[in-house]
Amino acid sequence: MFGLPLAFTIPAVLIAFAGLPVLYYLLRVTPPRPRRVHFPPLRLILDLRPHQETPAHTPWWLLLLRLAIAAAIILAMAGPIFNPLPAGENRGGPLLLVIDDGWPAAPTWDVRIAAATQRIAAAGRQGQAVAVVATSDAGREIIASDATHALEHLRAVKPLPYVPDRLALLAPIASFVAAQPKSTLVWIADGIERGHARDFAEKLARLVPGAEIATANQALRALAGPKNDADGLIVRVLRSSTASPAQGIVRALDIKGLSLGEARFDFAGQAAKNEAEAQAKFTLPTDLRNDVARLEILDEHSAGAVSLLDGRWKRRRVGLVSGATADLQLPLLAPNYYLAKALAPFSDIRQARPGTPDPIAALLDEHVNVLVLADIGNLSQNDHDLIKQFVENGGLLLRFAGTRLAAADPDDLVPVRLRRGGRVLGGALSWETPKRLAPFDQQSPFAGLKVPEEVTVRRQVLAEPDADLPGKTWAHLVDGTPLVTASQDGKGMIVLFHVTADTTWSNLPLSGLFVDMLRKIVSLSGETAKTAEGQGQSQKAETVPPTRILDGFGVLGAPPATAKPVPVTFTGVGTAEHPPGFYGPPDEMLAINAMRPDDNLRAADYSGLSFKSEPLREATPVDLRPPLLAIAFVLFMLDALASLWLGGGLRRRMKHAAAALAVVGLLFGLPSGSLRADPKPDHPISQNDLQSALNTRLAYVISGDPSVDEESKNGLTSLSQVLAQRTALIPGDPVGVDPARDELAFYPMLYWPIVAARPQPSAAAIAKIAAYMKQGGTIIFDTRDALSQHQDGPPTPEGQWLRDLLRGVDVPELEPIPSDHVVTKTFYLLDGFVGRYQIGQTWIEALPPPNPADGARPARAGDGVSPIIITSNDLAAGWASDTDGESLYPLVPGGARQHELALRGGINLVMYTLTGNYKTDQVHVRDLLERLAH
Amino acid sequence: MSDTRLLNESERQVSSETEGAALDLAARLPNLIVAAKEIASSVMLGVHGRRVAGIGETFWQFRPFVPGESTAGIDWRRSARDDRIYIREREWEGAHTIWIWIDRSPSMAFVSKLALQSKLDRALVLGLAAADLLVHGGERVGLMGLTRPMASRGIIHKFAEALVAEERSAGFSPAELPVSATLPPRTQAILISDFLSEPADIAEKINVLSARGARGHLVMIADPVEETFPFAGHTEFLDVDSSERLRVGQAESFRNIYVSRLAAHRDAIATAARRRGWSVLPHRTDRTGSEALLTLRMRLEADLGQFRVAG
Repeated sequence: MFGLPLAFTIPAVLIAFAGLPVLYYLLRVTPPRPRRVHFPPLRLILDLRPHQETPAHTPWWLLLLRLAIAAAIILAMAGPIFNPLPAGENRGGPLLLVIDDGWPAAPTWDVRIAAATQRIAAAGRQGQAVAVVATSDAGREIIASDATHALEHLRAVKPLPYVPDRLALLAPIASFVAAQPKSTLVWIADGIERGHARDFAEKLARLVPGAEIATANQALRALAGPKNDADGLIVRVLRSSTASPAQGIVRALDIKGLSLGEARFDFAGQAAKNEAEAQAKFTLPTDLRNDVARLEILDEHSAGAVSLLDGRWKRRRVGLVSGATADLQLPLLAPNYYLAKALAPFSDIRQARPGTPDPIAALLDEHVNVLVLADIGNLSQNDHDLIKQFVENGGLLLRFAGTRLAAADPDDLVPVRLRRGGRVLGGALSWETPKRLAPFDQQSPFAGLKVPEEVTVRRQVLAEPDADLPGKTWAHLVDGTPLVTASQDGKGMIVLFHVTADTTWSNLPLSGLFVDMLRKIVSLSGETAKTAEGQGQSQKAETVPPTRILDGFGVLGAPPATAKPVPVTFTGVGTAEHPPGFYGPPDEMLAINAMRPDDNLRAADYSGLSFKSEPLREATPVDLRPPLLAIAFVLFMLDALASLWLGGGLRRRMKHAAAALAVVGLLFGLPSGSLRADPKPDHPISQNDLQSALNTRLAYVISGDPSVDEESKNGLTSLSQVLAQRTALIPGDPVGVDPARDELAFYPMLYWPIVAARPQPSAAAIAKIAAYMKQGGTIIFDTRDALSQHQDGPPTPEGQWLRDLLRGVDVPELEPIPSDHVVTKTFYLLDGFVGRYQIGQTWIEALPPPNPADGARPARAGDGVSPIIITSNDLAAGWASDTDGESLYPLVPGGARQHELALRGGINLVMYTLTGNYKTDQVHVRDLLERLAH
Repeated sequence: MSDTRLLNESERQVSSETEGAALDLAARLPNLIVAAKEIASSVMLGVHGRRVAGIGETFWQFRPFVPGESTAGIDWRRSARDDRIYIREREWEGAHTIWIWIDRSPSMAFVSKLALQSKLDRALVLGLAAADLLVHGGERVGLMGLTRPMASRGIIHKFAEALVAEERSAGFSPAELPVSATLPPRTQAILISDFLSEPADIAEKINVLSARGARGHLVMIADPVEETFPFAGHTEFLDVDSSERLRVGQAESFRNIYVSRLAAHRDAIATAARRRGWSVLPHRTDRTGSEALLTLRMRLEADLGQFRVAG
C-alpha cells in the first residue's frame, strides 16, 4: 500500500476515517476546562455575568493532537502489518512452489525456506492448495495438497551437495499444469546458471505464463581448482556477481577439522583475474599443506564453497640422483632436468648439492618420499643398505634405466630380473622400428591415462621372462615387452622405467604422459603397502565406496543411501549418484568436489522472459498494532497533560508530579543501582585488620599455650621497641593471629612458636599458610628445642609437628643460613641468630650456588625473601626484655651480650623480610661511590 | 498571563499549631518583624534625621518658684547659684495616640507572581513597621480593637503577640473593616487594607471613626494583578470571600471595563476619605514596603505637626 510493504487485516475499519471530520467539529466546539483564577476584586465585575459567555475554541494544536489519537486508534483497529506475507496471485488453482535445492541455494537456505513458508501460509489462508517440488524431485509426480502437508514437505527439503538438472523437472510440471490449468507457479531460484537455469526458465515461461521468480540478492561464492604448487596452496575463489563482498577468508582444515591456516582473497585485488574470480594462497610449510583436507570460504555455507583435497594434492618430496657428474656439463640434456620439470608441478624436488660425497645418503637424510635414481648402475654397499632400508620402511624407489644400469651387475633393487645389455629398436643394426606403447591394463596404476601415438621407444632394458613378470608390469610396449615394472618390497615399492629419463632411448620424457605417469607413481608413495594389496585384489581397486559425504551446506557427514561407489579414476564433479565428499578408506581417500577445477560461477540470466521477479525478503511481518496503540496512549497522556495545563491545574500539581516522577525514576533506577552496587564483603573488616593495614606490625601465631603466647607477645613487643629505637621502622603493637581465622596479608613476618601438644591446624588453615608464603610472607617457625635436639637422633616432638604441618605446603629447599647470606647483613653483621639458646641451627631457603663470575661477593640473596625460616633457638624468649632492658627469661648460657645478640638477630630478620635483597646491592655501595668519584 | 493564588489556611493565619511548622508564627512572623524593623529603621534615618534631638524630657525653661507649689519641681542645682529658687519646666510633650488596623480578611491572602509579597504580609509589615516608627518618634500606638495605646520599645513583638492571640482565639474570623468605634479627638488612625468592600460601607466606617475629629490614613494595598487584569482566554474567576464565580469566554475583553470600575471604586473611597480630611495611600505589592512607609511617615508628620500647632 502506497508503495510501502503495508497491509491491513481488517481494511474495513479504515472507513472510520470518514468520521474524523465529525470528531473535528465536536472537538472544536467542546473547549477544554477553563483556567480557574482566584480574584479578590471579583465583586467589581460580578454583575457582568451574562455578557459574552461564548467560550473560546479549542486550540488548534490540541485539536490536532486529539485527531491524531483518533487516527492512531482507527489505524490500530484496522490491523496494519508491515512487511505482510506476499499473498501471491490466486487464480483459483493450486500454488506450485518450485524450490532450487542445489548447493547454490544453501547459503540463503533459511531465507528461502522462510519465503516459501510465507507463501504457503498465505496460500493456506486463502484456501489455496499447494504443491511443493524441489528441482531434484524430477522423478516424482507433483501432487497438490493443503498448506499443512506442503509445509511438512517443505521442511523435508534440504539443499543437496550437487546441482540437479532442472530440465528434468519440466515434464512433471507440464503434466501438473495440464491437470490444473489455473495453477500459479512460484520458482524460488538460486540464481545460478548451473543446471540449465536459462533453458528451464524459458520453457517454464512458455508452460506457465505469469510465473514468478524469487531470487536471493546475495551473491554466491565458491571454491574451485585447488592447486598445491611449489610456493603455496592456491585455490580459485569464484563469485556469481559483484554484489558479494569483495574480500573474504578461505580457511584450510585438516582431516580432523582443525584449522591449519587462513588466506585472504580479494576480488578487487591484484591477484584477482577479473571481477568474478580471485585467488587465495596459503603459504604454509609443505608438511602442513599436505595435511590440508578441506578448504572452505569462511561464512559461506555451501558444498560449493568447500574444496576437498585428497592424496592427489599432497606434495611429495622427491630426491633426484643422477648417474654421473658428467651429466651436469649439459644440464638441459641431463635426465635430472626432465625429471625435475616433470615432477615440479606436484612435488618438492630435492637434489643433492654438487660435490656431495654421498648424495643418496644425503637425500635419504632429508626424508624424501620418493627416491629417483636416474641410470645408476652399481651402488656402494652402504648406499645399497640405506636404500634397502628406505624401501622396506615404505619409501618408493623409482629407477630409470640407462647405459650404466644396463651394464651394471644385477642387484636386488630392481623389480624384475634384467637381462644384460637390453635391446635397441630402430637402430642402424636393427630391423625393427621404434615401438609404441600399448594401452594400459586395468590393474595398472596408469589405467585411464591416454597413450599418445607419438611416443616411441627406441631402446630399453629387458626383463627376464619370469612367471610373475606380467603381474609386475605396469606398462608395456605394443609387442608386450615391459616398459615399467614395479614390485613390492617390504612396506615400500620399487618401480623401474626400462628407458632412460632423458630422450636418448625414447621420447617418452618429452610427452605429457610422462608427467601423468610420474604423478601417479609419486602419489603412490606412502601408501604403497595398501596399493599393492589392492593390486593383488584388482577387482576391489576399481571402485571405492563413499566414506564421508558433504551435504548441501558443506558439512561432511555419513553418506546417504543413494551415494554409490565411485571408480578410483573418477575425476568429475559430484552428482546425485556420486555426491561430493571423501570416498574410500581413510588413508587413501578420493576427494570429489562440487566444482570442477576450471568451473565458473555464472549468474542465471532471466532477462526477456515473462516472469514476475521478486527478491527474497528476509523480513518477517511486523504487526503494527501494538506500536500504534502505544503511540495513541502516549498522545493521550500528552493530551491529558495539555488539558491540565490549559485548565491551569498543572502548576498546582507540579509539585506532586515532580514527586511522582522522582518516585518513578527511583523505581527505574533502583534495580540498576542495586546491580551496580559493589558486592559487600561477606564479613565486616575487623578493627584488628584495620590497624594492621594502617601500621606495619609484627605478628605471632597464637599457639594456644598461654605461657608460650605470652612469651611470644613479650618477645615481639621488646623487638618492636628496639626496632623503633634503632631503625627507621616504627612498628605497631605486635598482634597474635590465628591462621585459620585471621587475614595474614597485613603482616610481613609471622613468628610461629611450635607447641607439640597442640593439634595441627585445619587443612584450610594450612592452605592459607601456603598461600601466605607464596604471596611473599615470611614465617619464622621456632621449634624451641635446641637443647633437646640430637644430631642424627630422632626428631623432637616439635620437629615432628612441624614436619607434619609442612607436609601440605610447598616448602623450598632449605639450608643452614650461610655466612654470606644477606639476612646476616641487613642491619647488623651477624654470625648467627641466637635466642634463648645459641646452639640451634637456623634454616632458610637455599640460595642458588655462588656464581664464580661474581667473585667473592660479601653477600648473596635470591630474588625474593625466603618464605620460611626455621629455628630452634626460642627467639621470642631471647628478645623479651623487662622494663630495664634486661632479659626477661633466663638465657642459656646467659648474659647481657646474648640478649643483645638475640635482639640484633631479630632486627636483621625483620629488616630482611621488609627489604629483601636490597642489602646485597648496598654492600657494594662503597665500590660504586669510588668508581663514580673517578 | 500571570499566576495568582490564594494563601492557604495555614499560610493565611499569622500562626497555626497544626499546620506545617514553616508556616506558623514562630517561622513566619519573625521574618515579617525583621522586615518591619528594617523598613522602619531605613525610614527613620531618611526623614527623622537630627531635627529631633532626643525623645521626650526636653528642657524648656527655668521659672521662679511660686510659694505653694510642690517642691518636687525645684531644680536645686540652678537655685544654688543665686538666692532665688527656680522651678525646672520641661517642654510639654503630650504624646499622640495612633491606632493601627490591619485587614486580615481572605481577600488579603492573595498573591500573584508579579508581587513581591502577599497583600496580607505586606499589610502586616507596613502596620508593624509604622508602629515601630511611631513609637520611636515618641507616640503611643495601639492596635485597633486589640491593644491599648502603648509606647513600648518592643511594640512590634507586642503587636505580633496580640495578633496571634486573637487568631488563636476560638471563633475568630477576620473582618473586612474595623470595628465601629469612634476614636477620641487628636488621635489618628491608619487603616491598612485592600478596601474592596462597598465604598459606602467604607465611607460609613470613616465617618464613625472620625466622628470626634480623629484623622486617618487609608493604605490601600493592591496586588499588581488586581490593577492590570492580565487575564486572557477562557477563565473562571473565583471570589475569595464568597462562593461567587464568574466564567468568561474571553477574559481579555473584560480588562477595560474592570480597570474603569476599579478606578471608580477607588475614586469613591478617596472621595469619602477626603470628605473627612483623611488621606488615601495606594500601594502595590510589587513596590517595596519602605516606599509606602516613607510616604505614610511624611503624612503622619504633617498631621502630627498640625496637632501640635493646634495644641
